[in-house]
Amino acid sequence: MATGYIIVNLLACVLVVTSTMVVLMRKLRSAAWTYAVQSLVLVCIFITLATTAGSTGLYLWSASAFVTKVVLVPAIILYTIKKIGDTADAELPVKLTPTRCVMLVVAELIVCFVAVLGVELPTAGEVRPALAISLAHFFIGLTCIVSQRNIVKQIFGYCLMENGSHLTLALLAPAAPHIVETGIATDAIFAVIIMAIVAYRIHRVTGSLDAEDLMELKG
Amino acid sequence: MSLSTCMIVLMAAPLIAALAIAALPSKAFPRAVYECIHVVSIGFVLALGVYLVYVEFTTNTPITALSNWCRLDALSSVFVTLISIIGALVGIFSIPYIQHDVDAGHMDAGQVKSYYAFYSLFLFTMLLAALSNNIIMMWVCIEATTLATVFLVGAYKTKLALEAAWKYIIVCAAGVAFGLYGTLLVYANAADVLDDPSQAIFWTSIVPNADKLDPMLLAISFTFVVIGFGTKAGLFPMHTWLPDAHSEAPSPVSALLSGVLLKCAVLVIIRFYVITVGCIGIVFPRAILVTLGTLSVVYAAFAIFKQDDIKRKLAYSSTDNIGIVALCLGLGGPLGIAAALLHCIFHGCTKALMFCLSGNILMKYDSRSMRRVNGLLEVAPVTAVLFFVGCFALSAFPPFAMFISEITMYFAAIVQGYLWLVIILGLALTVVVAALAIMCVRVDFGHAPADVKKGEVPVMALVPEVILAAVILWFGIAVPQPVVEGVDNATSIIVQEQVDPLYSDALLTGIAQVNK
Repeated sequence: MATGYIIVNLLACVLVVTSTMVVLMRKLRSAAWTYAVQSLVLVCIFITLATTAGSTGLYLWSASAFVTKVVLVPAIILYTIKKIGDTADAELPVKLTPTRCVMLVVAELIVCFVAVLGVELPTAGEVRPALAISLAHFFIGLTCIVSQRNIVKQIFGYCLMENGSHLTLALLAPAAPHIVETGIATDAIFAVIIMAIVAYRIHRVTGSLDAEDLMELKG
Repeated sequence: MSLSTCMIVLMAAPLIAALAIAALPSKAFPRAVYECIHVVSIGFVLALGVYLVYVEFTTNTPITALSNWCRLDALSSVFVTLISIIGALVGIFSIPYIQHDVDAGHMDAGQVKSYYAFYSLFLFTMLLAALSNNIIMMWVCIEATTLATVFLVGAYKTKLALEAAWKYIIVCAAGVAFGLYGTLLVYANAADVLDDPSQAIFWTSIVPNADKLDPMLLAISFTFVVIGFGTKAGLFPMHTWLPDAHSEAPSPVSALLSGVLLKCAVLVIIRFYVITVGCIGIVFPRAILVTLGTLSVVYAAFAIFKQDDIKRKLAYSSTDNIGIVALCLGLGGPLGIAAALLHCIFHGCTKALMFCLSGNILMKYDSRSMRRVNGLLEVAPVTAVLFFVGCFALSAFPPFAMFISEITMYFAAIVQGYLWLVIILGLALTVVVAALAIMCVRVDFGHAPADVKKGEVPVMALVPEVILAAVILWFGIAVPQPVVEGVDNATSIIVQEQVDPLYSDALLTGIAQVNK
């Protein structure tokens, strides 16, 4: 196996650790900074893939992923937290303890490794561990949405899901046109901006970011 | 102007209108200015949309634009027609409705401006979704429809409206992310097997090569696609955003969400259904779609019965009807597919009518609760009669349009040997009929609360409703030949062979096939 692919697989392992840390962080600001680090690892994977596969397109992806994921998304979230004020980090009871959360992530990783074993694509051969992690990454994002009561924290869940999809695309179709990647990244940025605006408005009306306070509409 | 340019103009017009409205300062211009731009936008979409569909239909030649990224074929024609016509009718209804909201103090100038801007943006994203031939663009567009409608759902900025908007964006964004994953798997797979990988992004290039794709990967991706776009379509159990968003949004938005947007998500599922069936056959897609469809119908039937809120009843009815569409697709065969497409059209018109009527009720009673909304016949007789017609139409009673599509579904189920399904559906839809009959009787009859002023809603609100009611009655009595041929052509694209299941008459064709 080429050294580049070994690095990709190793970086993917770092990625899953940083993603789990985003889910586990209790303070929003810490979660935003951890998310920036997590995205930086993703950018490093893109650069390694670009160097290994000799794809100039992937260098462009790396640049746009750096701008959107490492800079813009954390900046939007940090700005939202600043606008909301200190109450943004109000302590909320956890739905899932950290131990259970980690156990769930491990279970997701195992299931994804098993699922990826059945994939026979030539491009998937050397990066199978990274592919499994990219799929698991998607489910870690879902775990974040389901397990967090703070609605700003749930935004990170969506971003992690999107990062998982992005990594899968880079691993399986590194030659995809840049416009495809731009389309996905642009939509994701707008989604984060709109979620942040709605979260801010909710806080202004209810004085809280607790998802449990948003349960009046039932039945 | 060439047809390709026309198609670009069709998509660009509502976008330009949205940007123009957004660029105007809300305090400097009267509401009439926004209304004028809004009318021009919906008028343009109606005229150009119907013209392009007419040209595609008469020449039987797909129209492409932007290097094959956009394509108007017989299948997308069905959905572009829905967007153009329902978008225009509901757009006209919006004007008196929003005026009433302003008079009642529910909306200020800024909210009115953002309503009209997002309305046009919503039309633009739906048109793009229906016309996209690029599978990743399809995801981008469906995601964009969510982003364009969040502020429409939360237009009133109350706690409940914001709660609905949050649930809508978080559930749909997370759900549709599954769709993205499924889409990327199909794309990566196609890029690997196609002679020219640059074509792997186009639906029209993947379909003829579907048999070369990896079956395991395609089964996984179809599951992701159904979960993802099924969330947006409102299929059980991913429907949780739907009753909240539909009930809290302004009524015209509910009409457009239920009447058209859910169908755009269905169109994307149909696109992937064609690829999946071409690769692994119908057994796996059928298992998923029939299961989710049946669960949606049964769950929604009881949920409709339980509700006191009129708009929540109608919202659950959307889950019920999207379940029927999924079920018809799952049953497959020309008859099943034709039933699915007919149901998209007929339910779109009927539900748009019902949500607009719920808007009339809100204008008169300022409530959606059946405990308060009684005696509509003495308060607003025309609305009451239309509501009566709408309830019967939504119950799929003859002579209304949904009867044709639902009976075709029963025939398709019998032809495919799913008698047990017919029994389950029959029982579940009987519960729906009972729920709608109770709603109709309680709303129309009895005595209105003393504080409700008698008098009809503005004529401009009634005109689109009368047109929709006339259409569903007309289509129920005799489906026009162009609609039959259009659905037959679209069915041919889905089953990938020339078929005409409805050409003579849906009812007679169904009976003939059952007898065979």
